[in-house]
Amino acid sequence: MIDDILYIVERYWPLLLEGLKNTIIITAASYSIGVALGLSLALLRSYGPKALAAAVTAYVEAFRGTPMLVQLFIVYYSLPAFGIVLDPLTAAIVAIGLNSGAYQSEYFRGALAAIPRGQWEAALSIGLRKWAAVRYVILPQAWRVALPALTNELIYLLKYSSIAYFVTVPELVFMGKYIGSRTYMYLQVYTVITVIYVTLALTISEGMSRLERRLSVPGVSITGRGQ
Amino acid sequence: MTVVLKVEDLWKSYKKNEVLRGVTFSVNEGETKVIIGPSGTGKSTLLRCINLLVRPDKGRIFLDGEEITRPGINEARVRSRIGFVFQHFNLFLHLTALENVMLGLTKVKGMPKEKAEEAAKKALLSVGITEDLWHKYPAQLSGGQKQRVAIARAIAMNPRLILFDEPTSALDPELIGEVLKVMEKLAKEGMTMLVVTHEIGFAMKVADEVMFMDGGRIIERGPPQEVILRPKNERTRRFLSRIWELYDLGVRG
Repeated sequence: MIDDILYIVERYWPLLLEGLKNTIIITAASYSIGVALGLSLALLRSYGPKALAAAVTAYVEAFRGTPMLVQLFIVYYSLPAFGIVLDPLTAAIVAIGLNSGAYQSEYFRGALAAIPRGQWEAALSIGLRKWAAVRYVILPQAWRVALPALTNELIYLLKYSSIAYFVTVPELVFMGKYIGSRTYMYLQVYTVITVIYVTLALTISEGMSRLERRLSVPGVSITGRGQ
Repeated sequence: MTVVLKVEDLWKSYKKNEVLRGVTFSVNEGETKVIIGPSGTGKSTLLRCINLLVRPDKGRIFLDGEEITRPGINEARVRSRIGFVFQHFNLFLHLTALENVMLGLTKVKGMPKEKAEEAAKKALLSVGITEDLWHKYPAQLSGGQKQRVAIARAIAMNPRLILFDEPTSALDPELIGEVLKVMEKLAKEGMTMLVVTHEIGFAMKVADEVMFMDGGRIIERGPPQEVILRPKNERTRRFLSRIWELYDLGVRG
């Protein structure tokens, strides 16, 4: 078994590396879209005009209520009918990013709602306008509260990026399947891939908790010590 | 005498609950007025109306002669001229003591950072918050220290008037004194203040006028010696006798 694994790594490392690269690209890009979109949607839903807030709710429900795979197929196979043709990698990034935005907006919304009312009142009372209060008082606290959930989301996306396989993006799982079909050593190949995923997930986890510690403020951060 | 604040026939109700029922009074420059009365009689709502955090149903409020309750008023600008000290301090939790005081100076008044820092330090020192506490977060300060930082945050903005909403009610008894002392000093220096409190000792010493509120109205007002020591109204008498009882026992709520 060990010999087989070593053989696969030795023989197919360029393919594995290419798969790893694509997995990281999909994860990083769709996560970035998700953070930006999620934050914007949460702000609109929490403080925006009523009509927009309702539209955001509809968006969130639509993306949380349908399988991500269906969303990916719609982006990849159905959008061309409307003149939007995306290559597989871009389609995967867009679909996963839009989906993640819906989830992340809920994490941010919860964090925004967790900020005590008194913080608002104090921010307004010194003469800050609504959006200045959000920017200087509410958000700096809210995103510290949201950070653990955002870490969770990043690790989810690392794994969900594998659905890009269904639209032929050569990411890690795709490469695993391919190498498996060539060598018939499926168990060994998937063991290698598992090790890669776990290593990535642990790295993310460690990196994010370092970030949390660095940003932690007594009395604000969930994970901060000395509360 | 310059009138800083004028409140005219203020009404406010939440659903069927009438919280304010025709409140009228004014505060002159340099005066300290104290509002006392049982809880749930509209004292906090009154202060929140003045600070435009709550919209009154009826009535008008004037700051330096300008009606601030008229539609289309620049609320943020009005609020920047009125300090507000909360019962639960409401310091910005993610900012240090110094940054708490600086935020309004830099983001509302547009002061450059160095100038704001200088002004903030001066304000903090004036309430007895010394250098060792400037870089502490609210969670690392005692209640009395928090409230003094909150007062510094209000005075640094150089407001026309400071509103105090039961500033000592959330404090441990042994911390009340340090906050009251700061407020007393502020009053002596000529700050215009409107204070909701149960601290009748403070009212006796500092207030130019005491107003007793019950059921959304001011039902008795006058110099502290009269309202507190010789109240005419039956309701006022009952309320004060209860407060005196607590004073005599040496227990404060």
